[in-house]
Amino acid sequence: MIDLLFSAVLLAGLYAMMAYGLGIIYGVLRIVNLGHGGMIMVGAYAAFWMHEQFGLDPYLAIVPIAIASFFLGVGMYKLLVKRLPRGAAGGVQSLLLLFAVWLILRNTAYLLFTGNDQTLRTSYSTNSFHVATAYVSWNRLAVFGVAIVVLVGLHLLLTRTYLGKAIRAVAQNPSSCTLVGIPVERVYSVTFGLGTGLAAAAGVLGATLFSFNPGYGSSELLKSFVVVVLGGLGSVPGTALAALILAFVEVFSIKIMPSYLTAAVGFVLLVLVLVLRPGGLFGQRVLG
Amino acid sequence: MSMPSWAPKPWVLFAFAGALVLLALVPLVNSDAYWHNLFTLTFLSITAALAWNWLGGLLGQVSFGHAAMVGVGGFVAARLQVSSHVPMLVAWGVGGVIAGLYALVWGHPTLRLRGPYFSIATIGVGEATRLICTYWSWLTGGSSGMSIPVHPALKFQLYWYGLGLAALALIASFALRRSPLGLSLLAIKSDVDAAGDVGVSSTRLQDLVLFLSGMTMGICGGFYGSFFSFIEPGDLFGFERSISYVLMGVIGGIGTIAGPALGAIVFIVLQQSLIAHYSQLYLGLYGLFLLLVILFEPLGLVGLALRVMKKPIEEQP
Repeated sequence: MIDLLFSAVLLAGLYAMMAYGLGIIYGVLRIVNLGHGGMIMVGAYAAFWMHEQFGLDPYLAIVPIAIASFFLGVGMYKLLVKRLPRGAAGGVQSLLLLFAVWLILRNTAYLLFTGNDQTLRTSYSTNSFHVATAYVSWNRLAVFGVAIVVLVGLHLLLTRTYLGKAIRAVAQNPSSCTLVGIPVERVYSVTFGLGTGLAAAAGVLGATLFSFNPGYGSSELLKSFVVVVLGGLGSVPGTALAALILAFVEVFSIKIMPSYLTAAVGFVLLVLVLVLRPGGLFGQRVLG
Repeated sequence: MSMPSWAPKPWVLFAFAGALVLLALVPLVNSDAYWHNLFTLTFLSITAALAWNWLGGLLGQVSFGHAAMVGVGGFVAARLQVSSHVPMLVAWGVGGVIAGLYALVWGHPTLRLRGPYFSIATIGVGEATRLICTYWSWLTGGSSGMSIPVHPALKFQLYWYGLGLAALALIASFALRRSPLGLSLLAIKSDVDAAGDVGVSSTRLQDLVLFLSGMTMGICGGFYGSFFSFIEPGDLFGFERSISYVLMGVIGGIGTIAGPALGAIVFIVLQQSLIAHYSQLYLGLYGLFLLLVILFEPLGLVGLALRVMKKPIEEQP
């Protein structure tokens, strides 16, 4: 029991980080980034490659991978997303466009690394320690720690810095932002970069826990979406709580259900949330 | 019989009927198996692409998991034929209805909400349905699939069944766009709230279109099983299949009446000539086509044709 409790809490950190990348883009640009799952997968493979090639520890690889993905995201925004109409009219188009990006990313990973399942094993992957009667893996604890640091950092960025305030202002009302001299386009591209970087960083963490293949990321996209819907847009505490709920439901469903049904758990939870509380747990709050 | 006021112009009807008669005569003149099969498959793709477009185009709710209904309909039909010896057409029909109901089960709650919830949900639905059905070997035969005995003469006749299905789907597409019902759908797509204000029951109409689309997909699944006499979950429920419908719709012209039919033909040609030779690249090629169409001609081939003829976009054929 305590085992499950620990693993749920530790998993929730990763979920929160994954979801935040999706949520911040949706909150500011009103676009669901279907390339999100693809970037999680790219992060996983980038960490895998760096570890195989240079023996670089995945936890050290997070920084360069996140920075590179940030610029990749900025590039994607400037090259592709920027050209689409925003809001309801561009909804279908942006979904399809970013879905196309995902397909291309998947195919690229397939060509570079084949379609086989890969695992990223480090010398400490299997080390664990006791708490009362439970075993806790050091690696899971480290994933949780990194996720917390990143989320706290994001919260500070959004609430304490000029950039963060600009991002929140644009999320609330882009047209008045242009009036007061906030460079809206730059905020959009930075936000897209932030979301993309977060996705890739979450992918690095995911790669230390799970095996992955080019299709990795599709159920992560769905989980991120569940957390975003449940937690409300861009609220860090809301996201954290929603991630906890998802992780608990998942971990405990493995206990009571045959394993083939657990694939549907995230989806069932999504439908339940949408039906019962479409505005999220705390109503619709935008970033903060 | 008098035609409703929204019926197509007489010359369109004559051209349509003429094309049907010509296509129906093709197998009698040329019985080459390769072309026979390719045409039959094209009819099937046209039907599926049009059915996808009822949701994706007419309602603006893009589905990335429509293979789920093809799979459900296909395996229900196959199981009925193999285990209970139900006649083929009845089995297709039952499979179609069950597929339509299945679409309602997951689609109804997500369609009621504004925004992209439905589309996101379809990504999960496709994957979860595949996993669960692969596990349910009593229905699907598990990952080794199942065989459906089909008489060779009947298999040859499937050409005409396919032609009929595609024709029906095309007529349905026209009705769904041009009839008063079509106007309601257009209103829902543009603004759900405003549609509600003028008395359009968006929930019921969305459910109706979802059911029709799911049912048609299910019938296609049943057809597919009879045509290949062998089906397995990994293929019928596959991600690749779901994307192919998205691509057909988008290439042809999402939201137009006949665009997706055109898109299905182009897709089949592309697949035969290009993708079959570069099977390692198919996902990326799908992605690239999707990207280029969305960026440069969001209305696909229909948009391109309108631009060439210098007609305003509002007059979508």
